[in-house]
Amino acid sequence: MPLLVVEGIEKRFDHLEVLKNINFSLDQGKALAIIGASGSGKTTLLRCLNFLEYPDSGRIWVDGELLLDAGQQKRLSEADVRFRRLNFGLVFQSFHLFPQYTVLRNVTLAVELLNRGKEQTKNSAIVADARALLNQMGLSDKENAYPHQLSGGQQQRVAIARALALKPKILCFDEPTSALDPELTGEVLRVVRSLADKHTTMLIVTHEMAFARDVADHVIFMDQGIIVEEGPPDQVFGQPKEERTRQFLSRYAQGG
Amino acid sequence: MTSVQTIIGRLFGSFQLNLQLFFLTLLFSLPLGLLIAFGAMSRFKPLALLTKGFVWVIRGTPLLLQVLIIFFAPGLLDWGAPWGSGMSARFTAATVAFVINYSCYFSEIFRGGIQGVPHGQMEAGQVLGMTKGQIFRRVTLLQVIKRILPAMSNEVITLVKDTSLARIISIKEILMMAQEYTGQGLIWPLFSTGIFFLVFIGILTIVFGRLEKRLDYFRV
Ligand SMILES: Nc1ncnc2c1ncn2[C@@H]1O[C@H](COP(=O)(O)OP(=O)(O)OP(=O)(O)O)[C@@H](O)[C@H]1O
Ligand SMILES: [Mg+2]
Repeated sequence: MPLLVVEGIEKRFDHLEVLKNINFSLDQGKALAIIGASGSGKTTLLRCLNFLEYPDSGRIWVDGELLLDAGQQKRLSEADVRFRRLNFGLVFQSFHLFPQYTVLRNVTLAVELLNRGKEQTKNSAIVADARALLNQMGLSDKENAYPHQLSGGQQQRVAIARALALKPKILCFDEPTSALDPELTGEVLRVVRSLADKHTTMLIVTHEMAFARDVADHVIFMDQGIIVEEGPPDQVFGQPKEERTRQFLSRYAQGG
Repeated sequence: MTSVQTIIGRLFGSFQLNLQLFFLTLLFSLPLGLLIAFGAMSRFKPLALLTKGFVWVIRGTPLLLQVLIIFFAPGLLDWGAPWGSGMSARFTAATVAFVINYSCYFSEIFRGGIQGVPHGQMEAGQVLGMTKGQIFRRVTLLQVIKRILPAMSNEVITLVKDTSLARIISIKEILMMAQEYTGQGLIWPLFSTGIFFLVFIGILTIVFGRLEKRLDYFRV
């Protein structure tokens, strides 16, 4: 059974239908890339999974558990949302690190807060975990730096460590390299690649087509709020079935 | 002829009134300003509109006028004597007027500071499973403080000088006291009040400078 099942997600902003009947699933340990033109609804989809937007209808299952049945059950309470969204982690396009905390504190803060009053994990263990993650991100020497002292690529790697610290079942990336100078995208993509090699279950929205083709097990092409085409990367990028996919990809090949 | 020591002593004494008005105004208008800021940002539209309208009126009219109205209105409109009687009534009325006026100014500073924090900061906290309270205390608050310190510093310094407006309802604050000596042909007491203000504002400037320096370690 797939780790994540998304069924019939719809989302409207006023009269604009941004997501129309989105269905897909994702297996444990796999990486799913979502590509598509600007405005096609990719960010909105990730935001729905992370409960930053509330879909108008649709269901989300993780690990066989029905997390959300929008439009059916009554709207989830704040506290319910808070625990359910922890199934997912989200890495934003523009990092959103907490500027007043050191790199290490950025990674440990949320874990410590969740652990409050439970005392399941010692704070020293949380710090040790965070250090291991930073090491994995190649940032061991930066744990005492503040976000503004880091390059964009380093900031994004801290953000990835921060998201991983909560051990989400599915890690979502929303164009993790779009805010970076071209020479810094490589270091972030390498980190995502290494996560894929370790079979982290990931959902990656990206405009880096070569990267998507290389790292993803499955690719979804979205246009105007619907999934137009999906399949293994070699098929979607190599022999797209749909005219719209071909058009989109050829625009990218020409550097548009 | 009054001796120099006596005059300086009296100036000191009357400056206490300026200081009391200053500290009482700060004490009440800071929390009240935060409350007004939340009101103006409320998603409940009538409350937001009402609050914004109130702030607009208070900021759009002279503090002097507000002091006069708050002091005289209850008596003239037969509302009893909410401020009590005698000198303390004058001081209470002035304090109330100052608190209302300054909470409105502070509320605008708070609102700007809170709304200036990028929404992504809240969302980052949310996806990390933090509660609204945790996000405010752990993520937003310090960023807001850092953002508003320069504006707060300006406003607080203005408040020090504004305390002299209390003389409009015959509160014998330092300027009024000094002015009395012009009747004796003395101008220096008036000049010397400037020193009182300069010293106190100098201290405040140092305090705010230190606070800003303390928060220099990060960027927003
Ligand atoms: N909060 C909102 N209110 C109203 N409209 C919105 C909101 N968020 C997104 N939209 C609209 O929904 C559509 C899809 O937006 P979305 O950000 O999901 O696209 P995207 O595929 O992520 O695009 P991009 O590649 O530019 O990031 C756009 O037309 C956008 O203007
Ligand atoms: Mg987007």
